[in-house]
Amino acid sequence: MTVDISSVALLEVQSGEFVEAALLDAIQEQQISDWDKLWAPALNEGLGRLTAALAPKSSWPQNLHWDWREKAAAMNGLLGNQGFSLVCDGVTQGLMAVDMVSHRCRLPEQQGKDLVYIEFLENAPWNRSELLFRPTKFRGVGTLLMVAAIQLSIEQGFKGRVGLHALPQSEEWYRQKCGMTDMGTDQRVQGLRYFEMTALQATAFIRKGDSR
Amino acid sequence: MAAAKKTMTLNLTDAEMAVLEDLCEKKDLSKTSVLRQALRLYQLVEARVEKGDKLFFEDEKTKQKAEIMML
Repeated sequence: MTVDISSVALLEVQSGEFVEAALLDAIQEQQISDWDKLWAPALNEGLGRLTAALAPKSSWPQNLHWDWREKAAAMNGLLGNQGFSLVCDGVTQGLMAVDMVSHRCRLPEQQGKDLVYIEFLENAPWNRSELLFRPTKFRGVGTLLMVAAIQLSIEQGFKGRVGLHALPQSEEWYRQKCGMTDMGTDQRVQGLRYFEMTALQATAFIRKGDSR
Repeated sequence: MAAAKKTMTLNLTDAEMAVLEDLCEKKDLSKTSVLRQALRLYQLVEARVEKGDKLFFEDEKTKQKAEIMML
């Protein structure tokens, strides 16, 4: 399988400069290795900072249990699943797994239509301010991965429609920054809130990014 | 970031074409997109059945389940 690589830009927080990054339409062994050997120790470092700062457990990352090796293996070879990786400075900065076949739109104006469903989206620990990295390394990882999901949706004929269940700590980002519609809690998915993006919302999100 | 594609000719009966066109209308998708989705779904079902999973349809209201026999 060939991997498509696009050139994108991330904001390096310390210098305030945009730096070149690579967006891959796959999660390869190198990404799993980065997650295992670089993300895990950084995550532990962040948890150490939270402990030292006496941060309440409620502010700790809610995706500590995510296992990208397992997720990549589950997607392997399935046409309905796709992984994405964002690489900068030779290191994986973000990962995303999407499903194109198992979910349907729920918003009344697009009910039953196909969409790209984001199963998991994660930023590298050193890019996450909630882990008390000061300053964080890169900004824009989540946005670029969301753009990749929208572009995939457009390529598949889904017109930019995207859906996901958000962890409580990410709800505000999907609601405010992404402009997705909050459809409330879903008891079938651990009581997580379900968010959906229409074609119009997708266009608005892309335009917002272009004007930055 | 679109993958390279290959072209094929597909011969369908009138009934099959009618179903395809109906799905295109209902799903707001092109014929190619509908067939891609069908292939993905078929592959997913095959992979799950091969693992020993069963395929069910459940009535949302009555919770009654009907198993689809995949032999």
